[in-house]
Amino acid sequence: MSGAHSSDSEMMRADTDRSAVPALTRTEGGVPRRFADFDTLGEALDYAATSACGLNFFDARAQNPRVLSYAELASDAREGAQRLIAKGVQPGDRIALIAETSPEFVSAFFAAVYAGALPVPLPLPTSFGGREGYVEQIRNQLTSCDPSMALAPSALTEFVSEAAAPLGGIETLGWDAFAALPTGEASMPKAKPDDIAYLQYSSGSTRFPHGVEVTHSALLANLNGHAVGVGLQPRDRVVSWLPFYHDMGLVGCLLSPVANQTSADYLATEDFARRPLSWLTLISRHQGTALSYSPTFGYEICARRISSQSGVADKFDLSRWRIAGNGADMIRPSVMENFARTFAPAGFDAKAFLPSYGLAEATLAVTMTRPGTGIETDLVDERRLAGETPGDVHSGEPRTRRIVNCGYPLPGMRIEVRGADDRVKPEGEIGRVIIAGPSIMLGYFRDEEATQACLDGEWLDTGDMGYMKDGAIYIVGRAKDMIIINGKNHWPQDIEWAIEQLPGFKAGDIAAFAITTPQGEESPAVLVQCRTSDPDDRAKVREAIKAKVKAMTGMSCIVELVPPRTLPRTSSGKLSRSKARSLYLSGEIQPLAVAA
Amino acid sequence: MSLSKDTVLPRLIEIIEPFNKKGIALSADTSFARDLELDSLTVMDLVAEIEDEYDIILPVNMLPDLETIGDVAGAVAEIKNK
Repeated sequence: MSGAHSSDSEMMRADTDRSAVPALTRTEGGVPRRFADFDTLGEALDYAATSACGLNFFDARAQNPRVLSYAELASDAREGAQRLIAKGVQPGDRIALIAETSPEFVSAFFAAVYAGALPVPLPLPTSFGGREGYVEQIRNQLTSCDPSMALAPSALTEFVSEAAAPLGGIETLGWDAFAALPTGEASMPKAKPDDIAYLQYSSGSTRFPHGVEVTHSALLANLNGHAVGVGLQPRDRVVSWLPFYHDMGLVGCLLSPVANQTSADYLATEDFARRPLSWLTLISRHQGTALSYSPTFGYEICARRISSQSGVADKFDLSRWRIAGNGADMIRPSVMENFARTFAPAGFDAKAFLPSYGLAEATLAVTMTRPGTGIETDLVDERRLAGETPGDVHSGEPRTRRIVNCGYPLPGMRIEVRGADDRVKPEGEIGRVIIAGPSIMLGYFRDEEATQACLDGEWLDTGDMGYMKDGAIYIVGRAKDMIIINGKNHWPQDIEWAIEQLPGFKAGDIAAFAITTPQGEESPAVLVQCRTSDPDDRAKVREAIKAKVKAMTGMSCIVELVPPRTLPRTSSGKLSRSKARSLYLSGEIQPLAVAA
Repeated sequence: MSLSKDTVLPRLIEIIEPFNKKGIALSADTSFARDLELDSLTVMDLVAEIEDEYDIILPVNMLPDLETIGDVAGAVAEIKNK
């Protein structure tokens, strides 16, 4: 790998540890900047390849980068595309890719794009144990996207092969084996703007995955909006530890830099999880100004980790952090304020915070606040958030919650808040958030039913709740059944399904939902109808349920056994999770006694 | 000096003890998920501690098979002896 531009004297001055950071890609690309105004993603990379920019992949201690200039990426990807075509891959075929933060993944992603195939980024394993759950998740996603090939880091091919085994016919190769395949000299297919560029499984149920179809034109419209929204500057660089299988990591931190000719510096997600402060080290070492985004919990663990250390100002220089994006989960203002306080001595400016709202079904961002304004909040009565009218039922002091301004629609995007009757609500009233515009997905891959459930003509029902104020959206709750723990989305269906795998339980016996612990953290809870009368046996049942949920989903869950026929149903006979949750919290559903 | 699972285990248990919020007895058979009930962020804190103590990297492909403290002790010994 070359990409050597050591003549960049600015970089040398900004660099605090020259020996550890050789030959990074340049910040200013030397070509006229185009804000993603391309017909296809392949064209966007072709243009980026004429610039001096590219990607740098750092190790766990934010050192020893592997450098991949966009010129090299384009050349590697063309070679990869020839290998895919030589293997018989046709335009429209899916190529599953384990989304490691590495040059190999990025090259394979764009190889598929050049070949007209759809890259499908899939997750990496994340923590101790959980082999069964990981293999199962990959198997479900492979089943859903039906790929002709699966590529993975060589050390992970074993898991992918195991996942693919019952499906038959999916060739699984490590990066090395793929690179050793013969190339050819086939002519590359020419993609059209309306073709699907890739499939995204960033959030949603792992048991019943939905692959979001993102077209070239939807993607590029979103990436243009991204550049406009952050007011992209000549000296901006992106710094990211977000996983490439997540929309904010893939779209915001890989595809946006490519389509807007910006360099990016990466830390692998698993390295961030172990040593989160490496993220801030990377920003400190940065030449130019930094664009770096994270869900709330990323800021939270940095503040937590630094609390035991002193000399923040000596360790970090965060004055160059121009845009500190917030999104992907509910933004907790107190956590962000604590981060800003903790890192102010290192030059961090709270005005760098840039809250946004987005979802994979809209490619990524739908709204963004204006750069330089920081976090603005609104105090809202809790009773209004719960859908009640203040003044009746409750008495006493009103409790309030701070709701974050998530910003204004990106160019071409429209946003409405509608009530249960589907009418648009006036400003300030809470309802369902509905969006339309050029970056809305085509649909869910091979899932007409799920697509129709959320897409109505040009309008997408996000499932989120919020209200408008002075043209900005304030999100009060994400899709109501979703459980978000440490920035990761979990779906109650997955927890319920895990329990159904135990003997003696069936669908409808189980209701999973999120509750807020006294410490203010989200925790998953599950109510299970139990026919066992002996308290000792109940204790065993409960332990078995906990272990199963942990094995399948990786979460520690609060498990309560409840008597048969206590879980509430909707009028159509479906389980009502939200009602089960409120009956449990209000004490109307009493858990059965369990032996200690 | 060659390490074995048994020689790693006592020190490993000392490293894990601060994460043992439930105060259970730790042994080679203790499971991170089932017995210690560690969430994924805490697990990564712990991984960093273990890596720093032994000056190793626990590769991401190994993690799914590490269910118990004994599994981790074995993995540490294996990596150190490479």
